[in-house]
Amino acid sequence: MASVAESEFLIASRRRRFSRRRLGHAAAPYALLAPAAAVIGVILAYPLYLLVKMSFQKYGISSLISHKGKWIGTANYASIFHDAEFWHVVLRTVLFTAVCVSLTMVLGTAIALLLLQIGRVMRVALTTALVLVWAVPVIVAVDVWRWMVDYEFGVANWTLAKLHVGNFVRHDWFANPWTGLGVFAALIVWGAIPFVTITVYAALAQVPQELLEAAAIDGARPWAIFREVTLPLLKPIFVILTSLSIIWDFQVFQQIWVMLDARPASDYYTMAIYAFHQSFQISEYGLGAAIAVVMVAFMFVATLVYLRQMLRTGEVH
Amino acid sequence: MKVRYLAAALLVAMLAVAASTASGGTSRSHATKIVVWLQNDAQNGWPEAVALANRNFKAQHPDVDVDVQYQSWGTHLTKFDAGLAGGDAPDVIELGNTEMTKYMAAGAFKTLSQSAFPNNKTWLQGLKNSCQYNGKLYGVPYYAGARAVIYRKDQYAKAGIKSTPKSLSQFLADGRKLMKKYGKDGGYSAVYFPGKYWYAAMSFVYDYGGQIAVRTGGKWKGTLNSPQALTALNQVKTLFKQLTRASRTGDEANPQQSLVFAKGKVGSFIGNGWEWPYALDEKVGNPALAPVVGAYPMPSHLKGRYMPTFIGGSDLGIPVTTKNQSLAADWIKAFTSTAAESEIAKAGNIANTTKLLSFNASNPKLAPFARAAKYSWFVPTSPNWVNVENANVLQNMLVKIATGRASVKAAASSASSQITRILNTGA
Repeated sequence: MASVAESEFLIASRRRRFSRRRLGHAAAPYALLAPAAAVIGVILAYPLYLLVKMSFQKYGISSLISHKGKWIGTANYASIFHDAEFWHVVLRTVLFTAVCVSLTMVLGTAIALLLLQIGRVMRVALTTALVLVWAVPVIVAVDVWRWMVDYEFGVANWTLAKLHVGNFVRHDWFANPWTGLGVFAALIVWGAIPFVTITVYAALAQVPQELLEAAAIDGARPWAIFREVTLPLLKPIFVILTSLSIIWDFQVFQQIWVMLDARPASDYYTMAIYAFHQSFQISEYGLGAAIAVVMVAFMFVATLVYLRQMLRTGEVH
Repeated sequence: MKVRYLAAALLVAMLAVAASTASGGTSRSHATKIVVWLQNDAQNGWPEAVALANRNFKAQHPDVDVDVQYQSWGTHLTKFDAGLAGGDAPDVIELGNTEMTKYMAAGAFKTLSQSAFPNNKTWLQGLKNSCQYNGKLYGVPYYAGARAVIYRKDQYAKAGIKSTPKSLSQFLADGRKLMKKYGKDGGYSAVYFPGKYWYAAMSFVYDYGGQIAVRTGGKWKGTLNSPQALTALNQVKTLFKQLTRASRTGDEANPQQSLVFAKGKVGSFIGNGWEWPYALDEKVGNPALAPVVGAYPMPSHLKGRYMPTFIGGSDLGIPVTTKNQSLAADWIKAFTSTAAESEIAKAGNIANTTKLLSFNASNPKLAPFARAAKYSWFVPTSPNWVNVENANVLQNMLVKIATGRASVKAAASSASSQITRILNTGA
């Protein structure tokens, strides 16, 4: 009796232990994911929820104090979609992003290819310079550039005047939005090149030498080798870098904001600045939120491409 | 192992709770600090007044510190909004008189009792008006300022200008004389006038009988495209083209125009009273210029009159989010006392009380500004006005005119319709 009972107990307890272990196995991934999920929930999902909620509200200074907005449905969206300036801003942001990303990718890749060709000393020097550029905080970089293109004392004007390429004494780079945005594009591309170069350089080092040699023996010229062999091999890297660059350049804010003393003329509004302007300068937080939501939607598309590529790369390996 | 982790976690939790109750306790029972936001003009122009107020406040409340944090005009409202939303706005804040209405209308300030503050019967009426909304007082007048032309006497004399100009056309002609004499130096400006200097540019508009906006039948209408305003803006354009080499996209504060003046390559600029002493400041300015600097009211296009000057100024308010209202009020009392206001006036401003007006009139460095204030203009009195300022509508219009990117008429028309739209929002 005792033994039966004992064995029954043993079986039961073993079963229980077994199922408990199984349960533990099933729960472990979730338990491990929980902290990350909680952090994302707190710092991303909840603010995003508030943003979307606010975009359907009339939210001014008094709402700010009382923490209560007035529900107005899609009126904020209707208002921005009927606002000609909003579409100007969208167009400007898209073009600006396109120019910055193209320049960053082309120049970044070109420098990476250059790194393969040059000697050790030069390579170390160039890599060091790139890492230093990457390490400079944005605000410091903007201040440096601001002095370089300064109206009165800028080294850019001084050099161009010395070179006698035109009248650059007291040239105002920001008087014309094309040259002004050109300065910003240069600043942003300058800051973004190191990451692209170093990543592409690392990827280039992984391209099997035999393939390149085989192509060369078959009589392919360097450009053809690059286009037909290297580029397809590096495609996943390029897709990821391009989508990341789009995400970064699309939301450009600090560079323009700091360089233009927090009062940029409307010619310099990007979507991020326009949203900030509506929210914090006009105190139309609902409108600003609606613009921000539209911006998030734009970025989501870029992120999708990035995610798809990431998942695919994961499957291959 | 487990026990040790548990104990550590427990300890951390206990410390956290203890810390939070400790900080909660002090802020509730008695404050040890009040936070005051002043604009950096006070830091540059009249630090003595701030020090005096802090000393007197400290004598009254020995265990309370005053943390004065200096702000810049470009960003202080953004920070204030964030503070209001987060409940950690300062205990006392300075706002420009054009910025008050929006915040009073939104209920951002505590109501104040007028009789509690020094000189409350003799406050400058213009400033007092900017502190009131629907019959209630939400702010204490701090100081006012008028602008006049600050100039180099020696350069005027060498350019053959016998006396200060009595009309706008003479002012422009004198400017041309200065450019002829000194303009070969590519950095010289007869009149330093940066592209975004809207306070000075709008004075031209009001001088010619124009206005920024008018209210008819409960609706605002931007009127910068009126014939009078267009004539005035064309004069501003002439000034941009012929007399100034200041940045056409810059403003009067970046770089500080009085410090550009101090560098010597400027014949004159339109500035506040405090900018004269600031140009001569030992640390940042050029004290050697003291004997050759003077000031006169900006002349009107009508001979013998002055151009209306913008009556700028600041008020002090107590945000609704403060827990230290009575301490905040005590600090404001100390800072607007007759003694502190005298320091503020000495620095080139118009004090908040008419009691000190004779003080200005008797001081040769302040008198031209007091005279200039005889004719003045003020921005449209709408709670939405500050949004026009913050949207840079006037600055953008002036930059377009100064750089020639748009005709005066096109720039003014586009600005007018923007002003109409902003002023009527939510109305």
